[in-house]
Amino acid sequence: MRKSIANNVVLNVNPIKKFRTIKIQIDFLRPLSKDETTKRRLLANVLSNSTKHYPTFKALNDREMELYGSEINVYTRNLLNFNDLAFSVEFADPKFLLHDINQLEENLKLLGEIVFQPNLQSQGEFDNTAFDTEKRNLMSNLASVGDNQDLVSILGLTSLLYQNNPDRQIPIFGNIDQLDKLTNKELYKHYIDVIKNDAIIVNVVGDVDEGEFEKIFMNSMFADNIDGSRHDLKIHFDKFDELVESPAKKEEHKHLNQSRLALAYLTKKIDQDVSRLAPQAMNLILGGDDQSQLFLQVREKNSLAYSVSSSYQPINHLVTIQAGLDAKTIEQAIDLINKQIDFVKNDKFSDDQIEHAKKVLDTRREISSDSIQHYIMRSIWETVYSKSLLNDEQFKGELNKMDRKHIVTVAQDMSAIAQYRLIGD
Amino acid sequence: MADKLQKYSKKLPNGYEIEVVPLPGYNQVYGLAMTDFGSVNTRNGELPAGIAHFIEHKLFAKPGYDVSEKFAEYGANSNAYTSYTKTAYLFQTLDKPYENLKVLLDLVQNPHFTEENVASERGIIDQEIQMYLDMPEWVLEQRILGQLYPNDPISQDIAGTSESLQHINKDNLLDTYRQNYRPDNMDLVIVGDVDFKKIENIVGNSNFHEVPELKPIPKQVFEPIGTGGHESMEITQGRSAYGIRINADVSLPELVKLQFELNMIMETLIGEASDNYEKMSNLNIIDDSFSYNVVAENNYCFIIVSGSTNYPEKFQEYLKKHLSFNELKDVLDEKRFERIKRDAIGSYLFAQNSPDAIANQMAELYFYNVDYLRLVSLIDSISYDDVLRVAEQFVTDDNCTYYNILPK
Repeated sequence: MRKSIANNVVLNVNPIKKFRTIKIQIDFLRPLSKDETTKRRLLANVLSNSTKHYPTFKALNDREMELYGSEINVYTRNLLNFNDLAFSVEFADPKFLLHDINQLEENLKLLGEIVFQPNLQSQGEFDNTAFDTEKRNLMSNLASVGDNQDLVSILGLTSLLYQNNPDRQIPIFGNIDQLDKLTNKELYKHYIDVIKNDAIIVNVVGDVDEGEFEKIFMNSMFADNIDGSRHDLKIHFDKFDELVESPAKKEEHKHLNQSRLALAYLTKKIDQDVSRLAPQAMNLILGGDDQSQLFLQVREKNSLAYSVSSSYQPINHLVTIQAGLDAKTIEQAIDLINKQIDFVKNDKFSDDQIEHAKKVLDTRREISSDSIQHYIMRSIWETVYSKSLLNDEQFKGELNKMDRKHIVTVAQDMSAIAQYRLIGD
Repeated sequence: MADKLQKYSKKLPNGYEIEVVPLPGYNQVYGLAMTDFGSVNTRNGELPAGIAHFIEHKLFAKPGYDVSEKFAEYGANSNAYTSYTKTAYLFQTLDKPYENLKVLLDLVQNPHFTEENVASERGIIDQEIQMYLDMPEWVLEQRILGQLYPNDPISQDIAGTSESLQHINKDNLLDTYRQNYRPDNMDLVIVGDVDFKKIENIVGNSNFHEVPELKPIPKQVFEPIGTGGHESMEITQGRSAYGIRINADVSLPELVKLQFELNMIMETLIGEASDNYEKMSNLNIIDDSFSYNVVAENNYCFIIVSGSTNYPEKFQEYLKKHLSFNELKDVLDEKRFERIKRDAIGSYLFAQNSPDAIANQMAELYFYNVDYLRLVSLIDSISYDDVLRVAEQFVTDDNCTYYNILPK
């Protein structure tokens, strides 16, 4: 079941019997804004710390344990040009439990309390302990980012790619300077804005009755809070044309055992006669798995890296490559990476490699449907940007129509646009 | 409970265990072969550190092909991992499960170590070691294990060191492989829609190698626990670990039960729903990276509590004072005990959504003579008094130590 229940509020119920748990997820979306990214991450943490009825972290965790280990998760992420503040609860399907317990209603109520009944100090402020604890935790997490070298290299590359988009310059988990200045009152003000104005997508996956869930949902505190003007979800795509003309490069040095390399390439938007899956197949041949050129040539044959791989981001048409290398062999590795790109551009790959790529695409699609999160993400995309999805018939059609010319075309239209090096010395 | 998982199993005459779990509605078939052999099995240091992990990497190499190519040919993705006490090889596929099973058996049954392929693998593994050396959490775990079990193989990186890799060669790889990849030291779990008889037939007709005479394993004697230590790294945030060594002389199935009991004790004392967690958080001693890990594997049983902190001394002092039997007695009532049990049962159900979690847990529990499908009964059988008794016996302050990693 999929229906609009208020202006820019969509409810999706996906009754699937094979899972042992049920998951309810509520996504609040609005356009990314550099001034709100840190606020929204801290808000996620403060709201999941405690609620009006469970006014300490301990009390809330006790409640989750009582409900057979329900997992509450509140976080933010980038979704296209939106900041997605997602609240979810996943819980044991009651039919697998030893004791009878009304899991669906109790967990929906708990999630509702987290979203709509925050732990307040006074009108206009969150509970001071919750705010201070979560601000301190986030500050500590942000300080630790510099200790995760893979993340440092991804952030370094992202910063180069989005140098002309200030809203993308703040990482999704926030920024120390903004966090330092953020007050309890400002955060609460933002919370009120979120609750009133964000677009909302509600998803339920698991063995639930659609009609029964809708009834429970429309009688819950969610129904009392969904009216409002709420943001339209207008999609904007980032442009990287300037970087094609003048690629961005940055090198930083740290005292590390291993150096990291992060590269980005832009592929062109494909013509209608080219299979929509061709960029993904090209990526698989280049560096998408353990049969790829990068894995076999850079790692296996030349022992230059333990980790080297590429990935393709279909929304912005980017191919990125990441590798962990010895600083002394970094030039040799880049040369070898370039040779693998030329290998694909120059149509040197075998028919077996094409067949393998097709097989992997098909397998990944089918296997992904063995997870609850797959259904939730598919439903969110369906709501936000349905053009990005292929149904089963379309997918098979695109897979069957793909040939080597399509893959070569994608590779030949690929331009290097950014390179970030984190050199260990 | 409705729709319980079903299992079909058989032990072959040579001791090899096969377990199959159908998972209705799932598209994939997940296969896993595990051997009861991991990084600690170096015959008390006679073998170079990292040899189990090296075997894991190099078993993929066969004459003229790599096994991952064969998996790919049959549409499967494959992987492998080495832990302190186990090595596992796995595949995940949509179709051709029987062909992929044959590839998995070829992978674990037919070693092909040559001087050339061993030499080329050293460079790859050395890069893996360097990668982990840049991860402060990983370094901290090794250091605290070095305090809990001084000079023991468990305190070495699972992958070894750049130096120990130089002592690994085709001969000690093959010898170590033969000693440990014995059918009676291995098991196989398949999760998904397959015919058990076919699986049994394929495995029964596969190429198990002749079992060599077992070399006697030198008796393992642990040195006394270290007094603690610290070091500096180029990091922005300090990390601390507090370790407790449990000298548990119990049977293998009891070890699994003990692990659940110790988890319940730690959850009560320092879990997210404990007073201590709240107090440490309010005192700014910990942040939300704070966690604990209970390990009960073969001869090793220990607890590591760790997290980021700006106050390592307060972190250690607090835990030393509050991780005690007396405190547990005060805070653990029947109601809290029931909550913790419910939480453990919930975790078991969550894991059943995932074929890989089922396969990995089932394969490992086999070596402890515990049936994965009876875990709920095992959890349910733990009494309030059991937990108090375990805490009184094991959670004492004469078996603990610490390690801190400080920013330079």
